[in-house]
Amino acid sequence: MITLDPAMLNRVVKPARYTGNEWNSIKKDHDTVSVTVALSLPDVYEVGMSNLGLKILYQILNNREDTAAERVYAPWVDMEAEMRERNIPLYTLESLKPVREFDIVGFSLQYEMSYSNVLNMLDLAGIPLFTAERDEHMPIIIGGGPCTFNAEPVADFFDCLVLGEGEEVMEDIIAAVSSWKKTGKVNGRSGILKSLAQIGGVYVPSLYDVTYHENGMVAEVLPNCPEAPLVVTKRVVKDLNKVEYATRPIVPFLDIVHDRIMLELFRGCTRGCRFCQAGVLYRPVRERRPELLLKMAKEMVDSTGYNEISLTSLSSADYSCLPDLVDSLMGELKEQGVSVSLPSLRIDSFSIDLAQKVQQVRKSGLTFAPEAGSQRMRDVINKGVTQKNLEDAVSAAFQAGWSTVKLYFMMGLPTETDEDVLGIADLAYKVLDLYKEIKGRRGAKVTVSVSCFVPKPHTPFQWFGQDLANEFERKQQLLKARLRDRSITFNWHDARTSFLEGAFARGDRRLGQVLLKAWQNGARFDGWSEYFKYDVWMDAFKTCEIDPYFYATRHRDFDEVMPWDHLSSGASKQFLQREYEQAVTEELTCDCRREHCSACGVCPGLGVEVLDWGSRA
Amino acid sequence: MAKLRLEITKGEEIRYISHLDYASAMERAIIRAKLPVAYSEGFNPHMKISFASALAVGVTSQAEYIDIECKEEIDVNQAVEHLKASLPVGIRIKGAAYMQGNVPALMAIVNLAAYEITVPLLAEDIGIIEDSIRWFNGAEAVLYTRESPKGKKEIEIKQYMAKPITLTALEKAVRLILEIRITPTGSIKPGEVLGALVAMFDLPVDIDNLLIHRTGLYISNANRQVSPVEL
Ligand code: SF4
Repeated sequence: MITLDPAMLNRVVKPARYTGNEWNSIKKDHDTVSVTVALSLPDVYEVGMSNLGLKILYQILNNREDTAAERVYAPWVDMEAEMRERNIPLYTLESLKPVREFDIVGFSLQYEMSYSNVLNMLDLAGIPLFTAERDEHMPIIIGGGPCTFNAEPVADFFDCLVLGEGEEVMEDIIAAVSSWKKTGKVNGRSGILKSLAQIGGVYVPSLYDVTYHENGMVAEVLPNCPEAPLVVTKRVVKDLNKVEYATRPIVPFLDIVHDRIMLELFRGCTRGCRFCQAGVLYRPVRERRPELLLKMAKEMVDSTGYNEISLTSLSSADYSCLPDLVDSLMGELKEQGVSVSLPSLRIDSFSIDLAQKVQQVRKSGLTFAPEAGSQRMRDVINKGVTQKNLEDAVSAAFQAGWSTVKLYFMMGLPTETDEDVLGIADLAYKVLDLYKEIKGRRGAKVTVSVSCFVPKPHTPFQWFGQDLANEFERKQQLLKARLRDRSITFNWHDARTSFLEGAFARGDRRLGQVLLKAWQNGARFDGWSEYFKYDVWMDAFKTCEIDPYFYATRHRDFDEVMPWDHLSSGASKQFLQREYEQAVTEELTCDCRREHCSACGVCPGLGVEVLDWGSRA
Repeated sequence: MAKLRLEITKGEEIRYISHLDYASAMERAIIRAKLPVAYSEGFNPHMKISFASALAVGVTSQAEYIDIECKEEIDVNQAVEHLKASLPVGIRIKGAAYMQGNVPALMAIVNLAAYEITVPLLAEDIGIIEDSIRWFNGAEAVLYTRESPKGKKEIEIKQYMAKPITLTALEKAVRLILEIRITPTGSIKPGEVLGALVAMFDLPVDIDNLLIHRTGLYISNANRQVSPVEL
């Protein structure tokens, strides 16, 4: 057990990030279990603690008598300095034991910009960074989360990466590690890696060799041993009604990003937005039953004492039984002072009615994501929202008493012209006009947030070359000049951060060196603008003689081998290509949830099906 | 309406949480315990609970007080039992009583706080420590400059010292016992007193490693000194 000096904790910001003991946290005697797991998200406590996947795994793993699951997050820069000065290794919040003594360390990889923190945490833990340098006494380093679908840039640092949903596969992994330990770690490190490679959804990167063409493109990614499958396909839970949920989540002392009950209505979203990676990775749509959700909600209020329930899903308003569910939640929990909130709103008046119902009195701003300014552009990305949908939704919101609207957009989408970009401004002004029409006076506030589009693997736009940073900046200025009204606030993303994200999102294994170099030169918390060191990254690319533009801004041909072609979401490359082609011709694809199947390949390929209670009723 | 007053602790396990965190931990425990707590009216209803005095990050306490406004008066023992089962480690209930009649807010009546400060020694000779404390105790006035994001402010410390500081020698450390007045116009924090001792009275201690523990909050007047649950 690590002892933490008062001097250290007295000096750092928010020391409660590092001292644990929260309600519902679970402490087990390590001598009574056969496998210990440190669950992590490589970011600060408040971010890591908000991740739903980790909450679920914490409960599932701790439900097992043979397993102790604990937590560790990235110490903030002040704490890191204190720890390094005092030689305090990275430790978990439950037992205050060094992470290095655990059997498994699992990192949730939610965004590429957290990769430098993974290296930093391994280093702080005293764990060798490269999988090749670790022997059987070191923990097995596992990655999960959306980034694993192309975690090639971090492939050299991880022992294995888990594709898809973790509920079932983590249990398989625990079983494998437990029996390997019982046999005295037979065949050492390579013994366990080879047995993990045989579990569906588990990718062991060291069991694959990558070869490259002279022009730098990937030639082949092939297994180097019989245990490793040619293609690793994601795991998917067939029926969410049958798996454990995080009904006893840890209640932190300090405010975290999502400090409320998260009630996951369903998984998957098949609206088919062509830029969206989550929409492909989490197919198909699988809903939980409303009765089960109500029961879970009550259990969670009792187990946490939270007084707010957030209905979380990729697009919660699409839940088939939403109005009934909201009514019963509010009806049964009102007595206890519990409120219900919807994190995302669909752009229609149905959503406004709901928002009105749940937020009865509080008229804080409403957020919509039209994603693109012009109808043409929205058709390209298959965002099935029309100008009229938007006008109806905003009008309904104003009529219901709201006056603040936030609009989210992207720029740099395929086929985008300046006219499309300026369409964003037109939309913002249209919203102001609607308010005036309805209320007979000015007074609406509109916030326009525009991010820089980053093409992601496993999406129809995976072949598309990202805009150059200066092109993004030009478009930002163009828009800024048009958005001069005092009622409009314009926010935009840093183009250089998006460029780096773009390189890593579609990177290959060679980027591991760049990551290592950048981390050595001080890169960490890259997702936090105040710590993002663009120059350090560009120097690292230069030192390694690797061209970031090759990864970020280059258009690929359809027949190019992608660094992630051996990692499958279940959606076929043909489907993605078809979608790209339809994007260019501005053709729409329907939602398979309630309309016909668009043959992405997931359901037949993985033996799963859409579960939507509304469509069956 | 019934006002339930509790004497509770903030233990070592949660030393580093803030007062706001502590308050919301209590709020959530009250919801888990399903106490019939009252809420304010209006847009954003909040739970009707109030504390005697805020406790800083890094400070533990064996005597915190909270008033919980209840919609009905359930049996005290039952309320305590339910709440006990719902409290995070580090918060214990030491006393509970319903306050009868229209009692003033805890904030308004508590006027004395007692602390123990434990801090490692930087000198071998306990005599030096004693001298320094004696010197402080004997001083007419001690001016301390409080620095905050809002700026600097000069404060006279001695007006808030209810009693001379006493000390106990521990192994390689010393424990100081302080009683500090809480007045309508202000007070001084125990850490600030230690800061003054180190800066102005040459107290040879490792101030970075100080541990502060609140031992009591009192309502004190010329005749008697009682805790808020003893009223
Ligand atoms: S296979 Fe068809 S129904 Fe299943 S997710 Fe794909 S498009 Fe939807």
